[in-house]
Amino acid sequence: MAVAFSEKTKERFKAILAKYPEKGAALLPAMWLAQKEFSVITPEVEEYVAKLLGVPLVRVHEVLTFYTMYAAKPLGKYHLQLCTNISCTLLGAEDILEHLKDKLQIGAGETTPDKKFTLSTVECLGYCGTAPVLQVNDDFHENLTTKKVDELLAKLK
Amino acid sequence: MPTLTIDDQQVTVDQGTTILEAAKKLGIAIPHFCYHPRLTKVDACRMCLVEVKDAPKLVTSCSNAVRDNMVVFTGTPKVEEARKSILEFILINHPLDCPICDKAGECTLQDYYFRYSSQPSRFKDNKVEKHKVVDLGAKMVLDSERCVVCGRCVRFCREVVGEENLGIFNRGDHSEIGTYPGKKIEHNYQGNLVDVCPVGALTAKDFRFKCRSWLLCKADTICPGCSNGCNAVVHFTLRSFNGIKGQRVFRLTPRENNDVNKIWLCDVGRWGYSFVDSIDRLTTPALKKGEDFVKGDWDTALRETASGLKTVVERYGPSAVGVIPSPHLTNEDLYALKCLFSCVLKVANIDFKLPGLDKGEGDKLLLKADRHPNTRGAELLGLSGTGLSAEAMMEKVKTGEIRALYLAGSDPVKYIGEKAEEALSRAELLIFQGTNFSASCKLAHVILPGATFVEKEGTFTNYQGRLQKINKALEPLGEALADWEIFTRLGKRLGAYPSYRCAEEVFKDMAREVAPFNGLSYQKIGPQGIKIADSSQ
Ligand code: SF4
Ligand code: SF4
Ligand code: FES
Repeated sequence: MAVAFSEKTKERFKAILAKYPEKGAALLPAMWLAQKEFSVITPEVEEYVAKLLGVPLVRVHEVLTFYTMYAAKPLGKYHLQLCTNISCTLLGAEDILEHLKDKLQIGAGETTPDKKFTLSTVECLGYCGTAPVLQVNDDFHENLTTKKVDELLAKLK
Repeated sequence: MPTLTIDDQQVTVDQGTTILEAAKKLGIAIPHFCYHPRLTKVDACRMCLVEVKDAPKLVTSCSNAVRDNMVVFTGTPKVEEARKSILEFILINHPLDCPICDKAGECTLQDYYFRYSSQPSRFKDNKVEKHKVVDLGAKMVLDSERCVVCGRCVRFCREVVGEENLGIFNRGDHSEIGTYPGKKIEHNYQGNLVDVCPVGALTAKDFRFKCRSWLLCKADTICPGCSNGCNAVVHFTLRSFNGIKGQRVFRLTPRENNDVNKIWLCDVGRWGYSFVDSIDRLTTPALKKGEDFVKGDWDTALRETASGLKTVVERYGPSAVGVIPSPHLTNEDLYALKCLFSCVLKVANIDFKLPGLDKGEGDKLLLKADRHPNTRGAELLGLSGTGLSAEAMMEKVKTGEIRALYLAGSDPVKYIGEKAEEALSRAELLIFQGTNFSASCKLAHVILPGATFVEKEGTFTNYQGRLQKINKALEPLGEALADWEIFTRLGKRLGAYPSYRCAEEVFKDMAREVAPFNGLSYQKIGPQGIKIADSSQ
């Protein structure tokens, strides 16, 4: 089945396009829309976005591989993004990472077999003041300890 | 026009000139990776930092334009320190496999390291591992670990070829050059990617592991691949290395000429040199005996040729002789041919225009449909239209009106096919003079081995009417001779003919006798060629 935006997304896409002097500049928000709509940016989606904006396919792929926020592989229900940048690492992100790996029995960049959790390591999330920090889908969890992680995971159904 | 001072020397340059380019004018080479004179400037590598008086920080010389009264220093301790640091960063993940890297000897990273850094690595962790031997296209291979991510290859494809097929994927020290997964680079300009790559990340399949760059000699030449006449350098050796027996020519690289090929070569031309050392080269004169050829010496072969031609002309007149030269030959070769056939033997049937000669597949950038380097030269020398056309000659050979046919480098069977084959096999006397065995050569009675473009001196006139010079890099293989020399030797046996000793002497005569060449000399042609006529229609 060929991928295509829903009518509603098409409207939003149009509104986004209007903000940019040239179409190609809307690549990031367009890919973001695509990710929301299709949940994963497959090669078909890349091609769709490239055509939509009239940009070369490799450019879409450059952006897809550059940012951790875009998903080239299907994500689990909960996307756990752990910051491993300097501040978080200084305050124990490495332990948290090991703990998460242990608990979920997956490595960074992997998804649990029940498709519930995807674990990623990411660069600075901008919450250095309350490091270490974990982003679960759109929510932030700060001042983490392994105990807090356990409580958090227990709540995610 | 702004005037500025670089390292205590003054220079005046055009508005908009960058510091790096202004310095180049003074002979000051500023190290750089991402800058390339023919690509957009992206300010990516920071290797070109220099100190500008009163500027708060070092500036990138590749992208900053000069200002009037600017004072630039390119070698202060601060600049040296910056270069050293940049190199240290680049080398953190570099594999340092220069001993097995084909770029060694002509790699700017290697050169800069020895010049500006020369320090042992302080990096103790494991290097980032990336993809090796990535098959990016039919002609070249990528080693991502050697890549300095300057992006020149990406820009070359986008800006020069007009195909955006290379990209930089991932981020930071994991960045890698690549094509979209599953796709390959297919364009005809892949060799230039190897040239623009400042390091050994992109290497040519044709050259990989064959020869160290410093063992090669170089000579200026012109690509014989098509009528564009791209300026090139031939890299060759007089010995054979690594068991690659008999290979003397190892590659062709571009030579800058803004009016012809900018600084590029197409793949068809760049890798079209293999015929020079190939197994089917004609290396000795040969005569047909029954079904087979027997090796002969020049004396016998020329005697047979001369007496054969003489007999035909005496018995049946010059109209019983046909000559088909190839526009692969130099102007000197063609002029010597013309002197022999039209002046000495009074033959009018000379035509180089085999049908389909100019029907290859060209492209928008350089490659022309006419795959011959000297078609315009042959036109200017009047080697067509004086008698029967090449095609008509085939008919007359068949009917027996033409008895002797002289093929100077041409291969009618390739262009006309069966009809030519039939005609050639009926000729009473068929002389083939050329460099390699061919379908037409197979039918010849006498074979005279000619020299290739790297084995003789001479000139080509490209499609624009630009006269350009090729040089003798190597001795002709075996007993082969430059074509003008073969005609000179034949001429001696057939009548009053100048005793040319070198191509330049032929050129001098041509410059006197043929209008577009009037007043020219090898010296006047120079390394960039000279326009002597309009392009052909
Ligand atoms: S492959 Fe070569 S040209 Fe391309 S980015 Fe890497 S170093 Fe630069
Ligand atoms: S365009 Fe023609 S002359 Fe130039 S490199 Fe290609 S074949 Fe040779
Ligand atoms: S050459 Fe100036 S930044 Fe790369």
